[in-house]
Amino acid sequence: MAFIELTVLNNASRQTAIGIDLGTTNSLGAMWVDGRPIVLHPEGENGYVPSALHFAEDGRILVGRAARDRALIDPQHTLFSIKRFMGRGLADVARDIESVPCPVSESPTGVIQFEMRGKAYTPQELSALILMKVHDMACRALGGKETTRVVITVPAYFDDAQRNATRDAARLAGLDVLRIVNEPTAASLAYGLDQRKQGNVAVFDLGGGTFDVSILSIEEGVFRVLSTHGDTHLGGDDIDRALVAVALEDLARTLPAPALRDPAFRQLLRLAAEKCKIELSSAPEAEMHVTLPESGMQWRRRFSREEFDALAAPLVERTIDACRQALADAKLERNAIDEVVLVGGATRIPLVRKRVEQFFARKPHTELNPDEVVALGAAVQAHVLAGGTRDILLMDVTPLSLGMETMGGAVAKVILRNSTIPCSASEGFTTYADNQTGIDFHVVQGERELARDCRTLGRFKLSGIPPMPAGMARVAVKFHIDANGVLTVSAKEESTGLSARIEVAPMNGLTDAQVESMLKASYEHARADFDQSRLANLKVEIGTMLRATERGLRNYRAELDKETLRDLEDAMKSAREAAERDDVNALQKARDVFERAAEPLAAVMMDSVAKQALTGKRLDEV
Amino acid sequence: MNVCPRCQATLETPLACGACGALLAAVGGPHADPFALFGLEPAWALDAADLKRRLLRFTRLVHPDFFATASEPERHAAESASAALNSAYQVLDDEASRADWLIGHFGGPDEQAERSMPRSFLMEVLDWNEALEAARASAPSAPERQAIARLAAELGERRRQVFESIAARFAAHAAGERGQLAPARQDLNAARYLDKTLAEIAGLRVAQSLST
Repeated sequence: MAFIELTVLNNASRQTAIGIDLGTTNSLGAMWVDGRPIVLHPEGENGYVPSALHFAEDGRILVGRAARDRALIDPQHTLFSIKRFMGRGLADVARDIESVPCPVSESPTGVIQFEMRGKAYTPQELSALILMKVHDMACRALGGKETTRVVITVPAYFDDAQRNATRDAARLAGLDVLRIVNEPTAASLAYGLDQRKQGNVAVFDLGGGTFDVSILSIEEGVFRVLSTHGDTHLGGDDIDRALVAVALEDLARTLPAPALRDPAFRQLLRLAAEKCKIELSSAPEAEMHVTLPESGMQWRRRFSREEFDALAAPLVERTIDACRQALADAKLERNAIDEVVLVGGATRIPLVRKRVEQFFARKPHTELNPDEVVALGAAVQAHVLAGGTRDILLMDVTPLSLGMETMGGAVAKVILRNSTIPCSASEGFTTYADNQTGIDFHVVQGERELARDCRTLGRFKLSGIPPMPAGMARVAVKFHIDANGVLTVSAKEESTGLSARIEVAPMNGLTDAQVESMLKASYEHARADFDQSRLANLKVEIGTMLRATERGLRNYRAELDKETLRDLEDAMKSAREAAERDDVNALQKARDVFERAAEPLAAVMMDSVAKQALTGKRLDEV
Repeated sequence: MNVCPRCQATLETPLACGACGALLAAVGGPHADPFALFGLEPAWALDAADLKRRLLRFTRLVHPDFFATASEPERHAAESASAALNSAYQVLDDEASRADWLIGHFGGPDEQAERSMPRSFLMEVLDWNEALEAARASAPSAPERQAIARLAAELGERRRQVFESIAARFAAHAAGERGQLAPARQDLNAARYLDKTLAEIAGLRVAQSLST
């Protein structure tokens, strides 16, 4: 019986995996159910988890909607847009740091740490909390059916460090990542365009904070990414900022400078701008209004669609530039594009739709909710990865070239951008001194000519080369970018066939050991939480047992022999004492001893109840 | 042609069996024969559409997406096989890299060996570079930019001729004529100069269309 259940369960979990869009603003889970992808949301909720965290005074961390709601009251202890910090160092995010309300530092391996209420948190740990919330929401929607297998999406432009950080976040959340998928690529799957025999698709993804465009070809169910291009700092938030700037300029006449800088007020303005922007997507004009702090005065400003378009136009043109670049990389003309898919909330802006339609001379797909397209596509990919179908196949590319620093600081490209993944490349190295046993090298990602202008992926130390004259060693270093877009490096000395050892110092990343120790800490934390609740339950239980026993003793003391009575009273005393302290094991033991000592009394009571029943007395008279 | 060790079916690619789906020992690596991975004989003539169909068909057999929940060794094998296929496709799909590989395969001179280009050709290269510099420094509607468009067309035509010559060399080599590979290598080196200049012109044009 147990075996059969287990088999059924295994089959169910083998077939399922959840697609998760871990977004800058919102995160969302979806799954393939009954032949199509659906957003997973529990009854009465929409499934969106705002990517926000609030650090409460009592040490609890609120995630999602609850955290976002706290932002208005307590912005100093609320964090947003954690995704921007994934796999980044302090130097990379100078602009984003400005909006972080708490002290921020960098660990020795270049991982950002947020200090909240005396504790430091990495973006990986915080993203793990968001992932857990999404996973929890998804499992509730599935009626408690558990699957820890997930596919997580990342912007196409995420580099190796950012992908690794995402993977580590999932590991910390206890999830089994089947694949890291690029967001625009996932989006192309959501529309079921694989039904098309042949064609080219442009996916235009303008989110809150990032922009990507990808060009794909579809042929017999195979989605092949031809090129991808984007801007990691371009999105709907920039348009909010433009509106806020207009407001601030106006308000500077009435409000003193410190009031304008107040974070809570800034947050109010940001929300008012966002609301105004959203209204303008469906109305020809909208009002942005805020209540000023202290004075309680209302500030109002009407924006017409034309004014708004003028503010948004420079940003929209940047997205069109990226489309040109992506087409050039794909070696396609504009008119070769058969389908255009819009992704991301900011594609609701009429100006964006208009320009995209003009540029590609195609009406873009807007049938699906642009905030859900990525999660839905991730669910399709999760279905493929879980073994659900072989009809659909995604062949993605690496968005950035991989190279090595050479003498003089130049970059020798090893794998070119837009190469289909998985891909491998080998480079030969030799020694320049007699009996040299090690070589250091520096791996970078990016398109620039000089290593210092590219992003450092890691510094590798090759050691264990057998001693031989200079130039004799033939070390082949193999780079492999896997289907997740993540790099692994291995090396071999070819003349001897010996494997050389490679040590990788991750840049802006966690080492495996760090992830392990975080996992251990979270288990210990979970263990402590578990003990805490067990302690509370045991105390309640002992209290109930004590009260029942005291009542029983009042009526049946005379029916117990002296020894039994003494044992019982000793056990009660021990239980009372144990309940005063917080030792779970001692409490459990005292409870068990108490239960055994109370058995004779329980038997007497049961016996008496039975007799009373036989003599016709009602139970409540016992 | 080989047969599958598991089901004895004839193999189209040494990477996997299309009949039983078995992943076969990785024969990838940078030194592997890209033609063999696609079940083809090494030869210059290639049907691009057929090559792409093979890529899609074989990728369906070995892509890691279809082994995501398989054992670690299988996942690893799928990664290597898929990477080998992608690298081989890159070599074969691009005329220049296909020619480079074939010249090496047939025992011809490597890139370094036939490095010296005719003086007249190098003078031409200098002219192209000057035209590029002039276009970079000029306004979008300037005549220098028109000149660069004409140059692109001219170089494109030259490139076509160079590859016609390479094709003829390979055909002669296949017919048993000796001494074809060194001139093929010289042609290929000329093609590299042309490609480099054409890439720069394309980059300049994208930059121009971005600025207008």
